[in-house]
Amino acid sequence: MIFILLWVLATLDSAFTGYREAAGRSALINKRSYYRRAMIKGALLGQTAVVSTGLIGLMAVATSSRPQSMITDFESAGERMLYVYVPYAVIILIAFLVRIIPSVDLRSITSTVIFGPFTLLRPLVAFAGVSWAILASSKAATRILCVLVLCLMLSLGQVLRWTNSK
Amino acid sequence: MMNLFSFPKGGPEISDEIVAFDPETLQRKPVKKADVIATFLALDNRRAAAIVEEMAEDSDGTLNESAADKLLVKVHCEMQRMSEEFQHGERAAQLLEPIIEAIVEAGHEGPVRIVDIGCGTGFVIRWLAARAKFSKVVELMGVDFNTALVAQANTLAGKEKLNCRFVVANAFRLKEPATIFISTGVLHHFRGDHLTELFRLHESARVRAFVHFDFHPSFFAPFGSWLFHEARMREPLAKHDGVLSAVRAYPSVDLLAAARVGAPAYSSAIYGTQLWGLPIPRAFHSLVGMLPQLREGFISRMGNKIRSLGVIE
Repeated sequence: MIFILLWVLATLDSAFTGYREAAGRSALINKRSYYRRAMIKGALLGQTAVVSTGLIGLMAVATSSRPQSMITDFESAGERMLYVYVPYAVIILIAFLVRIIPSVDLRSITSTVIFGPFTLLRPLVAFAGVSWAILASSKAATRILCVLVLCLMLSLGQVLRWTNSK
Repeated sequence: MMNLFSFPKGGPEISDEIVAFDPETLQRKPVKKADVIATFLALDNRRAAAIVEEMAEDSDGTLNESAADKLLVKVHCEMQRMSEEFQHGERAAQLLEPIIEAIVEAGHEGPVRIVDIGCGTGFVIRWLAARAKFSKVVELMGVDFNTALVAQANTLAGKEKLNCRFVVANAFRLKEPATIFISTGVLHHFRGDHLTELFRLHESARVRAFVHFDFHPSFFAPFGSWLFHEARMREPLAKHDGVLSAVRAYPSVDLLAAARVGAPAYSSAIYGTQLWGLPIPRAFHSLVGMLPQLREGFISRMGNKIRSLGVIE
């Protein structure tokens, strides 16, 4: 369950990264399909981070002399990440729900109070979740995986920026 | 991190300085890169000077026009994202609808022509053409001095088959005169007496009404603007000018005073300075003006939104 939740969050985060990196590059008015494609592109790119981290994790378990202990350590680290990432994600999703209400003021407020500041906070939140997970882990493989997933997720925006600007 | 508080309050924005036009002929005038840099250095705005320093120049030291235009088109595209996020099209439509209805009710003959002054790439006009449910008598038009921005606005409108047009023109000397003037983020570019003069031109152009949107200055505005431009903009010029716009935006009372001095024939008011009547400042406020005979019709059509309208006189 922990790993599934982390996968869902990583997919959501990468989809929104896709949106963010596409925004401000098309000046058309009707661009729902443009943003849909951008979010799918981001989500797919996010899967490369998830899959590569997952594969390395599986290899670490397969080659470990105590695989169950390794899995427990991964779960413990993942759980700590969720404690940081779930509240962040919930706040963002609530803001999206508020944005459904057809009010110019309410929608503007979600941008002023949530979307703008939380975009800037995202790298710090990502770093905080991974740091807390690393503090709880007893195995080097877990720590390495945590750092790897952080680097991959934070570099998504850069990769998308590079592809979008081409 | 951008040094937020080092911006000179009265200093120009980079986009004001890197292009120049003859106001009579609308011809583009060459701009010396060294002069622009010197202007910003004299104001101790080193960041702006550094941004201009990076811009392409021709062999005679003038800023390369096509490079400057390309940059401005890109910046306008980034700015449009902000307008979209803050629902600016919807905001404009909500204020324009009751004005249009009041104008039609008052017996206006011919089309109600809405002209966006300094339209850039025409986001507001194109949004209104795509989404607003205006009466069929409404014509949508954007004007700007910059040929590249106007060309881009027409290209974008053509791609989406929108019923609007954009021209390089002086808004106050149009062959087909405006019925309503609108603008977004333009007023703060007119400093001192130029702002009053702008409203005098409204009177001489004989428009029925005007709605000008601009940043609403408040204690939080510079920081909020900085935060948003850091989070959303990519071009250093967009980040710089966006923050500076919020810093030097006019307070509501100053806008209203200038409008009432420059265009006394109109009833004018400020719309939307606070959220829901609470002491929470809005990011934008709007200066609304109209001929006195339209006032009652406008007020009666505002519905609940009338609570956000200041005293109109």
